Amino acid sequence: MSQRITIDPVTRIEGHLKIEIEVENGKVKDAWSSGTMARGFEALLQGRDPRDAPFVTSRFCGVCYSVHQYCSCRALDEAFGATVPWGGTLLRNLAMGAMYIYDHILHFYQLSALDYIDIMAIAKYDGKDPALQAVKEKVVALVQAGDTSPFTPRYQPDDWCVRDPETVTTAVKHYIDALQINAKARNMGAIFGGRTPHYQSLVVGGCTQYPDINMVAKYRTMLDEIAAFVRDVYIPDVLHFGTGPLWPLAEMGLGGGHHRYLSYGSFEKDPAGTNLVFKPGVVRKLNLGGYEVESLDAGKITESVEHAWYRAAAPQHPYDGEQVFDLDRSGAYSFIKAPRYDGQAYEVGPLARTIVAQHPKLLELVQQGARPGVVARHAARALETQAMVDACYHWLDLLTREMTRSDFRIHDTAHWDPPESGQGAGFFEAPRGALGHWIRIENGEIANYQAVVPSTWNASPRDEKGVRGQYEEALIGAPIPDPENPINAVRIIRSFDPCLACAIHLIDPQTNQLRRFVVE
Amino acid sequence: MIDPRAESSPSDPRSEGLAADRQRVLILGVGNLLLSDEGFGVHAAQRLERESWPPHVRVVEGGTDGFHLMNVITDCDRLIVIDCIKGGGAPGTLYRFDREDAPAGRLPALTSAHQVGMLEVLELQSLIGAVPRTTFIGVEPESIEMGLQLSPRIAARLPRVGALVRELLGLERDATRDA
Repeated sequence: MSQRITIDPVTRIEGHLKIEIEVENGKVKDAWSSGTMARGFEALLQGRDPRDAPFVTSRFCGVCYSVHQYCSCRALDEAFGATVPWGGTLLRNLAMGAMYIYDHILHFYQLSALDYIDIMAIAKYDGKDPALQAVKEKVVALVQAGDTSPFTPRYQPDDWCVRDPETVTTAVKHYIDALQINAKARNMGAIFGGRTPHYQSLVVGGCTQYPDINMVAKYRTMLDEIAAFVRDVYIPDVLHFGTGPLWPLAEMGLGGGHHRYLSYGSFEKDPAGTNLVFKPGVVRKLNLGGYEVESLDAGKITESVEHAWYRAAAPQHPYDGEQVFDLDRSGAYSFIKAPRYDGQAYEVGPLARTIVAQHPKLLELVQQGARPGVVARHAARALETQAMVDACYHWLDLLTREMTRSDFRIHDTAHWDPPESGQGAGFFEAPRGALGHWIRIENGEIANYQAVVPSTWNASPRDEKGVRGQYEEALIGAPIPDPENPINAVRIIRSFDPCLACAIHLIDPQTNQLRRFVVE
Repeated sequence: MIDPRAESSPSDPRSEGLAADRQRVLILGVGNLLLSDEGFGVHAAQRLERESWPPHVRVVEGGTDGFHLMNVITDCDRLIVIDCIKGGGAPGTLYRFDREDAPAGRLPALTSAHQVGMLEVLELQSLIGAVPRTTFIGVEPESIEMGLQLSPRIAARLPRVGALVRELLGLERDATRDA
């Protein structure tokens, strides 16, 4: 007999993401992923000066704001015919590189790790390490004060959770260390981003703020500290957990999905843009013994609205996409459209990029028996963070050299004014995956603007052929021994780092108590 | 954890004013600029950024995600958060309360996939250092529909918020501005 379980919300902000699973004989038989909040911020842009787009789109999401700003700049670069000078590209990359580093670290420690450990094991730590003792005291004090919310697990620890007191206490210490590193990395991003949150210096044609040698030195000092954390703490933690206690989940390939992977490619390492930190490509069929990576053709991207609350239409390219809601649409269950590449559902994000790049370390883990899924996604994120740290050093060196040139430039000022008409596409590999912005300009104003965000690829509903989205497919077959405690389903969804945040932020205590604090 | 109320009452501006010049004060406006009144804190901060403040006071427009604010919160002793707050009052009602009195009481578990609120981030802050003494000032929204502008009735509350902040900090009204 099957049973339906609803996990809502998977993200804290109510009404963003709802997952429904049908469980039969202790395993997920079917799944539905719904974005339950209407998007459509694009409509705000119509009729505006195109140069507003990077700043307005940076408010699409409170979490991945700078990725929209950057991607929007790239779409405008193309539409305006601007050529970003190498100096401007380096500054953009250094600002975005900092963002990458804190985003991945945050995901692993603050947003995922607690799904894999039994936090209460801390109370049993009786070792002599003073640092770990201090962590135990801190957490126990919080629990006694009732302030446990950062740590309160939503689901009960299961058989796959780590319960060894020393391992758990060490993990929580690293959780706390990661908070500090995170704050540092944000300050690092602000050096070339102008400010944080919401970078200010990224515009069409390049950047607005010339760097000086002090800024470079400051960035390098912060990077040194962050690099040490990534090398000595983050990577070893992921490897320790992934090849140790979580190895059964890795071997099982929990949360695998369609096994089709797509990357737009991003982050130029040379002025020609031939050498990228993340390679572009498409893996249509994953054969673990050896597989082919095809080149990407952005013209093959379409969006299906068959199961989404939009006016009926054939699958369309984003340049022609529209946002006309139809809440009575039969068969619809999501506000998310279903992006497809050449008619097929793909995974985007760290695992997709790492598979497209045929990263040797990932292939080594696969040879040892790991299957792409939840654990591999966390490993891929860690490998990428290391790659990004290395790239930031590389860009700093190049910037230092570039700054000494007499013709050092950071902006294509000749193309600052918008064209009378034109169109442009911007692509970027955001931490969560392939992000695309499409702009069409008429009469010097924005005529149409569309963004296809990474979580749309991963969290999409079924398409016109009834093919599931990647979240939905990844859930199929997942062991749910206890329907009251679907922790494996949550692990799967969270391993994608879901973010559908159109960012409702308001404090809503659902009581009338606030009336006591009325000022006037 | 030190109970900040033991030192002084936040509703008494004089007691705050005494230590004010020794504290690093952060005025933080949060919210989403794309959802009309939800962006109240952002609009307020952008307005306050243009006013003149003593050197120990910083104004930051913080957007929506709590985690993104950890680096700025780490650098202050006294925090005033301006936000949009649903408290059940008439639209335009202004609220003011200290973090300890936040009516959410025991906060909901951190179930976020990514985004966390201000209250949670302050709790996380306690793990890496001292939590700044925090007061929230908020407005009851009229509309949180998509839009870049505040509702007129809510926009009309902006000058009052600036005055409330100054009152909290024991500062004189900004002479550079006729509000």
